[in-house]
Amino acid sequence: MDSAHLLGGQHAATQHRPQRAFGRLRVGFERRGSVTALAVLRQEGCLKARHPRPEPGATAETVLLNTSGGITGGDDLAIAIAAGAGTRLVVTTQAAERLYRATAGSPPATLRTNLKAGPDASLDWLPQETILFDACRLDRSLTVDLAGSARFVGLESLLFGRQASGEALRRAFLADRIVIRHGGRLILHDATRIDGDAEALLARAGTFGDARAMATIVGVSPDVEAMVAPLRATLGPGTLPESGVEAGVSAWNGLVLARILATDGARLRHAVTAALGILRGADPLPRVWRL
Amino acid sequence: MPIDEGAFLRLLTWLSPAFPTGGFAYSHGLEWAVESGDARSTAGLIGWLVDILEQGSGRTDAILLRHAHRAASDAQALAEVVELAAALPSGRERWLETTAQGRAFLAAARAWPSPVLTLLEGQDVAYPVAVGAVSAAHGVSEDRATLGFLHAFCANLVSAAVRIIPLGQQAGLRVMAALEPILLGSCQLTAHSTLDDIGSGAIRADLAAMHHETQYTRLFRT
Repeated sequence: MDSAHLLGGQHAATQHRPQRAFGRLRVGFERRGSVTALAVLRQEGCLKARHPRPEPGATAETVLLNTSGGITGGDDLAIAIAAGAGTRLVVTTQAAERLYRATAGSPPATLRTNLKAGPDASLDWLPQETILFDACRLDRSLTVDLAGSARFVGLESLLFGRQASGEALRRAFLADRIVIRHGGRLILHDATRIDGDAEALLARAGTFGDARAMATIVGVSPDVEAMVAPLRATLGPGTLPESGVEAGVSAWNGLVLARILATDGARLRHAVTAALGILRGADPLPRVWRL
Repeated sequence: MPIDEGAFLRLLTWLSPAFPTGGFAYSHGLEWAVESGDARSTAGLIGWLVDILEQGSGRTDAILLRHAHRAASDAQALAEVVELAAALPSGRERWLETTAQGRAFLAAARAWPSPVLTLLEGQDVAYPVAVGAVSAAHGVSEDRATLGFLHAFCANLVSAAVRIIPLGQQAGLRVMAALEPILLGSCQLTAHSTLDDIGSGAIRADLAAMHHETQYTRLFRT
């Protein structure tokens, strides 16, 4: 669908409605003895989950796949993942998610991800990057519901335009939210918005400072205050445009948040990997990250 | 005196720099942006404030104020706006700045009793939510309260910049004059925005507020 859709894009828009992708995915894990075990798996449409057999003692892993090959205007995707009491789970994606050009007049794609972590559960949401192609439209939210004693690390990485092929992001609509409830209390509603002339918007000093990549990392655990100094030391004091990376770190409301801007995807991934090393200690990154 | 003129008079009092919200202590990260060089010139300062007003916390606060205004007599709707507004700040100092001023505003507004003050008691109330709810309770129109709030917010940052950079008074006033169409635009463009339309594109302005936490020489709390 990838290249055919891109080639057909504008030309075909007036002739027929493009196919909208639909996907529903529900995954549930529960603790059985000392093991985190898959208890629920329901897949519908283009969303699938793979569960590679963990190495002994390693954390259970869910790998998400979008078999439609990427997201385009009007796609309707929803994911619900529950990590039951006492489980340890890492969720990632098989590949970077591509946000293709939406045809003129198309509504935004919607992607709703709902995560739940029960008492004493540990849940890491570590998808690979989302790549914004020119003229993409996405309304996305990551909603996280944590028991008071649950621990969470979450990441969203965005790449603005396809740098490898030299395509700039000229127009875009992106509404992206990370909403976290902890012990029933709303502790974070982080909302990022890009609407319209993305090329001009990304270039301004107070907006993105000409960054081409951004990541937001959130941690919720009892020791978040102690993470701030090592995260700042790891991410460094650089600012755009002089350094290729600018990162801010802050802790409040029982969470720690690191936001990273970078001039390219490689610098972003390097910084993200370093920050996750602080938040996750010796836990290795998902294997698909290293392929 | 017509009743709406009385309401306008109150709004002037509430948004005056003399009203004890302690606004002079907060720079919204501007103190760092001046040190980094991003907002050190007049042009840089104007650009920085335009980004905040059009893409960042200024726009967000205008939307929050409007929705708090509409929810002022509906306890449940107001509680939802209060909860959302306290979860939106992008860092510790942004959270402090909005909730401390919200608290101070509500305490000072007790001189004008209204049931909405009881509704908001004992919560972390963001500053624009406090202004929106109290304005509605006293018959101040939503548009006037929004424009007045944006003006007070912007004037407070320009006043901070005049002290930090430092700029001459005339230069500060020229910045205010240049920002008039931006303030009017941000007010108009948020008139029909939903709470779901809230989101920041002023990422480096938000980062500045995080960087300020470790700024070596600080005159301002944020």
